[in-house]
Amino acid sequence: MKHMTIAKDGIRDFIDRLVKRCRVIAPVESGKILRFREVSSGEEACFDFHNTKLSPKEILFPQNEVLFKYSKGRGAIEAEAGPSKNGEWVIFGIRPCDARGITLTDLFFSSGEHKDLLYLEKRGRSALVGFACIHPLNTCFCTSTGGNPFGREGMDLLLVDLGERYLVEVLTERGERLIEADRGLKDASEVDVDTANKLSRVAEKSLRTRLQMEGLSEKLDGMFEDPLWDRVHQKCVGCGVCTFVCPTCWCFDVVDEETADSSSRIRLWDTCQFPLFTLQGSGFNPRPTGKERMRQRVMHKLNYFFREHRAFACVGCGRCVRECPVNLDIREIIRTIMSE
Amino acid sequence: MTNPYIPHISVLRKIKTENAVNDIKTFEVEFEDPEVARGFDYKPGQFGMVSYFGAGECPIGFASSPMDKGILQFTIKKVGVVTTALHNSLVGEKIGVRGPYGNGWPVEEMEGHDVLIVGAGFAFTTLRSLVKYILHEDNRERFGDLTVIYGARNPGELIYKYDLSEWEKSNEIDLILTVDRGDESWTKREGYVPTILEEVSPSSKNAIALICGPPIVIRLSMPILTKLGFPPDKTCLSLEMRMKCGIGKCGRCNVGNRYVCQDGPVFTMKELQEMPKEY
Repeated sequence: MKHMTIAKDGIRDFIDRLVKRCRVIAPVESGKILRFREVSSGEEACFDFHNTKLSPKEILFPQNEVLFKYSKGRGAIEAEAGPSKNGEWVIFGIRPCDARGITLTDLFFSSGEHKDLLYLEKRGRSALVGFACIHPLNTCFCTSTGGNPFGREGMDLLLVDLGERYLVEVLTERGERLIEADRGLKDASEVDVDTANKLSRVAEKSLRTRLQMEGLSEKLDGMFEDPLWDRVHQKCVGCGVCTFVCPTCWCFDVVDEETADSSSRIRLWDTCQFPLFTLQGSGFNPRPTGKERMRQRVMHKLNYFFREHRAFACVGCGRCVRECPVNLDIREIIRTIMSE
Repeated sequence: MTNPYIPHISVLRKIKTENAVNDIKTFEVEFEDPEVARGFDYKPGQFGMVSYFGAGECPIGFASSPMDKGILQFTIKKVGVVTTALHNSLVGEKIGVRGPYGNGWPVEEMEGHDVLIVGAGFAFTTLRSLVKYILHEDNRERFGDLTVIYGARNPGELIYKYDLSEWEKSNEIDLILTVDRGDESWTKREGYVPTILEEVSPSSKNAIALICGPPIVIRLSMPILTKLGFPPDKTCLSLEMRMKCGIGKCGRCNVGNRYVCQDGPVFTMKELQEMPKEY
């Protein structure tokens, strides 16, 4: 692996240079929350954060996305959805858990007979440049689900904060192309690499939550009818925020939207936590109460997805734990399942 | 890039009211592009995503037989936003159709077997596609005896009456019709579909049973089919689920690690026994 360094005060200039040749998406303060948005200069990006409130999934799988436009009355397709901008995209400042979330989303949208080309097209043009986590939060549990604060899965470049400068791990050819001939980068010393390794060990050790998840999926195989589900959903208010902030929730709704000057079929994020999600025209609902809906969320992440892809559809980012208005904690649910 | 969500523009050619209550209609559509029409092939039991622009899109099983080239039929009950918009549409209007999706009835496995079809109410649509497919002169000899038990609440709610009267005259099919409550002109059987199934007791020897209907009919018919000796891997059901994409991505037809739109909608009893009871 190739190692470079870049001075901390040079990172914004580096982004400025990237902006000239590709679309750069980075954490920015938008409204009152930190989320990923396109930036036109390094100045706009925010690097002082633990993790963003919304995961970067909204870049590749937008909260609402036009599938196509049609002409009202004439019954004709006017325009198919295309990428909003051609060329290469760089998602800059992503955390290892979220990069791993994107690799799991890749698995899902490229599985089956019909691929979701709207997602895959955007993904194909996107490089991921991330920051290793030096200080994981107390809600983080990435190592339990198969990740790591210094995880490299999905990353093209991984930056490690060494104080005065960042160590830049060049992980893929795509990453190599991003830094090629960039005047801001220098070769790293052995000391730099050693320091990063030390930081990695410290970060991993500092994670307070360590869940026993080995055998969890197999255990859930026989638990669909378990009385546990009657208990764990009780305090849930069904707001669905856990699924909206989750980097590995990708269910959607499809609706037609008509305004004075355009008619579009769009897809929108949806959630299995809403009763309407599965309500049929006949009035029958296979998941009529919070119990079935909570069970669906947990089973899909920890059993159904695992059975198909041998990975949990959870990266341990802890967003659902932090954002839940009634302090429901998926870590507690996992512990309860394992102790049953 | 091929966007999987783009429907084919299709023209409504005929609209036929199917029942006395006038909330079930059969829509005959034709693809606007003849090339699409030529390349569009499907199996009985598969479905299409049908859209009325401005109202949205929903999954509807093909009611026509794949042998009827050039046209597609969808029998649609007026229940929600999209189906109401379709019911209010006129011949000549353009709608969207994409597909075919799902696995369909196991036509290949049925060949060389006697076929028992049990249908109730409005759920008879893809079974009608299958009956028409089997009865087609190019196909009939590949299948054994064909027995169809079909019932509805009352005579006015039986759909495809024009087909039923043809089939009653035919030697190629044994059609047993029943209604929950007959009227003064009704001369055939009276009784719930599961009851009639038990009365008729079709043989399970070298036979495959296919069933589609409201959940209560399925629940009550399953033990009877078992008693008649139909093994779980020779009993097939078509499931109904809310769907938005039809291609295993939107997440709502998820049952266990299966997606009804992609892995179904037809499952054998054996497969269903291994899935969570959430359908």
